[in-house]
Amino acid sequence: MFTRESCRIPTCRGSRAVVVRAGDMTEYQIDNLGQAAEAIRQVTADGQRLELCGAGTKRHLGRIASYDHLLDAGGMSGIIDYQPEELVLTLRAGTPMNVVEDALAGARQMLAFEPPSMTRILGEAQAGVRGTIGGLIATNISGPRRLTAGAARDYLLGFEAVSGRGEHFKSGGKVMKNVTGYDLSKLMCGSFGTLGVMDEITIKTLPAPETSCSLLVGADDFAGAVALIARVFASPHEPGASAILPAAIAAEEGVDSGSPFTAVIRLEGIEASVRDRLGHLQEMTGGDALAEAASVSLWQRIRDVQPLAEKPLDIWKVSCAPADAAKLLGSLDPRLNIRMIADWAGGLLWIASSKAQLGPALRKAVQGLDSGFTMLVRDVGVTREKIEPLQPLSGGMYELHKRVKASFDPLGVLNYERMHQGI
Amino acid sequence: MLMPEPDQGVIDRRDEICRTLRQLVPADCVIDSRESMRAYDADGLSAYRQLPLAVVLPETVEQIAAVMKWCHQQGIKIVPRGAGTSLSGGALPLADAVLLGLGKFNRILEIDYDNRCVVAQPGVTNLAITKAVEADGFYYAPDPSSQIACSVGGNVAENSGGVHCLKYGLTTNNLLGIELVTIEGEILRLGGKHLDAGDYDLMGVMTGSEGLLGVVSEVTLRILQKPATARALLVGFEDTGDAGTAVGDIIAAGIIPAGMEMMDGLAIQAAEDFANAGYPREAAALLIIELDGPEVEVDALIGRVEAIVRKAGASSVRVSQSEEERNLFWAGRKSAFPAVGRISPDYLCMDGTIPRRRLPDMMRRMASLSQQYGLRVANVFHAGDGNLHPLILFDANQPGELERAEEFGADILRSCVEMGGVLTGEHGVGVEKRDLMTIQFTEDDLKQQQRLKCAFDPGHLLNPGKMFPQLHRCAELGRLHVHKGKLPHPDLPRF
Repeated sequence: MFTRESCRIPTCRGSRAVVVRAGDMTEYQIDNLGQAAEAIRQVTADGQRLELCGAGTKRHLGRIASYDHLLDAGGMSGIIDYQPEELVLTLRAGTPMNVVEDALAGARQMLAFEPPSMTRILGEAQAGVRGTIGGLIATNISGPRRLTAGAARDYLLGFEAVSGRGEHFKSGGKVMKNVTGYDLSKLMCGSFGTLGVMDEITIKTLPAPETSCSLLVGADDFAGAVALIARVFASPHEPGASAILPAAIAAEEGVDSGSPFTAVIRLEGIEASVRDRLGHLQEMTGGDALAEAASVSLWQRIRDVQPLAEKPLDIWKVSCAPADAAKLLGSLDPRLNIRMIADWAGGLLWIASSKAQLGPALRKAVQGLDSGFTMLVRDVGVTREKIEPLQPLSGGMYELHKRVKASFDPLGVLNYERMHQGI
Repeated sequence: MLMPEPDQGVIDRRDEICRTLRQLVPADCVIDSRESMRAYDADGLSAYRQLPLAVVLPETVEQIAAVMKWCHQQGIKIVPRGAGTSLSGGALPLADAVLLGLGKFNRILEIDYDNRCVVAQPGVTNLAITKAVEADGFYYAPDPSSQIACSVGGNVAENSGGVHCLKYGLTTNNLLGIELVTIEGEILRLGGKHLDAGDYDLMGVMTGSEGLLGVVSEVTLRILQKPATARALLVGFEDTGDAGTAVGDIIAAGIIPAGMEMMDGLAIQAAEDFANAGYPREAAALLIIELDGPEVEVDALIGRVEAIVRKAGASSVRVSQSEEERNLFWAGRKSAFPAVGRISPDYLCMDGTIPRRRLPDMMRRMASLSQQYGLRVANVFHAGDGNLHPLILFDANQPGELERAEEFGADILRSCVEMGGVLTGEHGVGVEKRDLMTIQFTEDDLKQQQRLKCAFDPGHLLNPGKMFPQLHRCAELGRLHVHKGKLPHPDLPRF
């Protein structure tokens, strides 16, 4: 296996693919999809497999799998076309996130799905590097605004890629409204690089809010906090994000409401509107206001799961219907001694524990619900070797996934088994 | 329009097939008389008609699964159909295919305010979702113009939009879960009341797949709190380019209107004659811009938008002062299609999308094509997202006019792709734009899409003849040339 450091953003490169050999392993540092196709052909001919990687910040998400060679796509970097008044950004998949965010900030726009920085919990591959846009799309990771604005998958308009067959193909387009052909963009989002190597991708952008603030409301229990948030969402005051913090974490973050749980509700928009809505919601809930600067910093910490990052604990991500979250949490053995924050109105739980039994307990709890999903995001010990990080698929779904994988990558050349066994 | 050669062997077995279908579903759920099947011989693209082999209207998901399983075993094709409002021929029957109608799946199963969603059967109409929750202050955002008739299952198949999708998204952005029946008759659940699983986003790829990948038997839809208020501006321009500039300036100023519609001169005239909405007849372009949200916000943004459009050179600006006035502004736009129907015996409605900044180029191109073909064209646009609906006016009773109109339409769509856009923004490919797919996609692009089709439906039994200009056998698509012939890890099973 390569170390994390070997998958870096190269600082200097010619127009030809750089091929670095280390023993039997080859690192293909590619600049374009033609080189990707060539690397795939070479590796396929030798009956071997490739690990696909950008900046390497999300390399430790998913299953432990070993690969014969490495395809470093970080060199396919740069913004190709950005038209703020069209809300359309076309860029190369290896573009670093800080470059993307700087460009957007210059036009007072944003990626509305509020991508988190996973480096807080997963560590940095290289100092200051927050990952690439391609890695973000490949893992479909979205932040607090996902609840109201949608996920990364809702913003990918189109892409070009090379499949595991070594064939160049494109899907979608560079316009916002498009139903021509299958929406393969959805499939690429969250496929962990198992279907293709992306280069040119087009993303929908949105104007950044002019201002924001938060409302802090205490609740006696978790279910009460979820119900309170549901009431706020049934009002016309347009909350944009809402999280729930247990008292200990609320205290650490300096937003303690004095109750066992604190609901944090974010409002965004033009100033007159934010002020007006805050007033209405304060009247409705009796909560306290958190001014813009403190609110921005708190939401950034929630986005990056920072309250759980510092202690050496396994971290699980659980997605469920918001109204099921209290039941799920209630079913966990208190001896697991969990540390937890909730986002997405209760529909996203980040749960940390030092106990290896947490994973099986969460899997069992989610099985008792109509729908839900569990994923091991960080392990500090050997948990990942003992449990599937992504919730295993049931029979029919597994078969369909295998067939979908085979339709892009019949020989399993790309990131084989990064998500699921045999896929 | 050339459809796949019907399988005479299947057609010859029609009586036997209907007998078996009557064992799989209640007998009165199978329709096989020519007279009764007439009601199903076309969808919204009524220029194309075809009687199906038989019509089956199952009542339970188990019946759907039984019908599909049996048809799969027998190699019999299936064309799924919701309310039959597709404008691209997505539900056009085939002579040798069973038409699977979802019309009896018309119940809302659950209204869940705690999780802000509605679980419904696929035959429920789009508008019925909003009607079911509006008393409690909620609504379902996607609002295709056919919303009183179109079904939510059909919305998933076509990834339907509407005038508000600039701000609120298409069906795909408002869909939380589906129950899917595969061609093999297996029932799978994709998504649910939770967000974002770690699987392949098969629900995302099902959305807009035009009935080629599976049959949707249940949907879970996100509902939103109704905005506190909505107001609209009616803005006339003497120059279409200025109207386009205004649209770009509004978005560049950080404002995303709930709806932003544009009409050209001919559409304005026709709509005004029809609806008396007070549209400026002399304008070359008209914008209807709607803002929704909290009252203070809407009032503030109306002021900003008004300043922007005046600066862009608006010749007339009206701001709605009441709900009646706002509805009046929309009355003309909403009646644009029937209004054009009144000034011409027939019209074709096109549906391409372009990058918005190319609008003036597109208007010039259409004017010159209009001269070239000797046919008039009226334009309505979803201006915010660059989705064009040119209406090509013709008379089907004049020999050759339909063909000329179709050629004109194809040229418009070619221009859309040339200008960096796409063939269809919201109506789907179906049979209508099937043969134009090669303009937008390369052979390899289409092959990859068809390989995905093979993952869901290796026998090409679901809705064949739609979306792809050429059907490749899945075995041929799956072939892979491996140099030197070494397979990775040859011990693992391959398929």
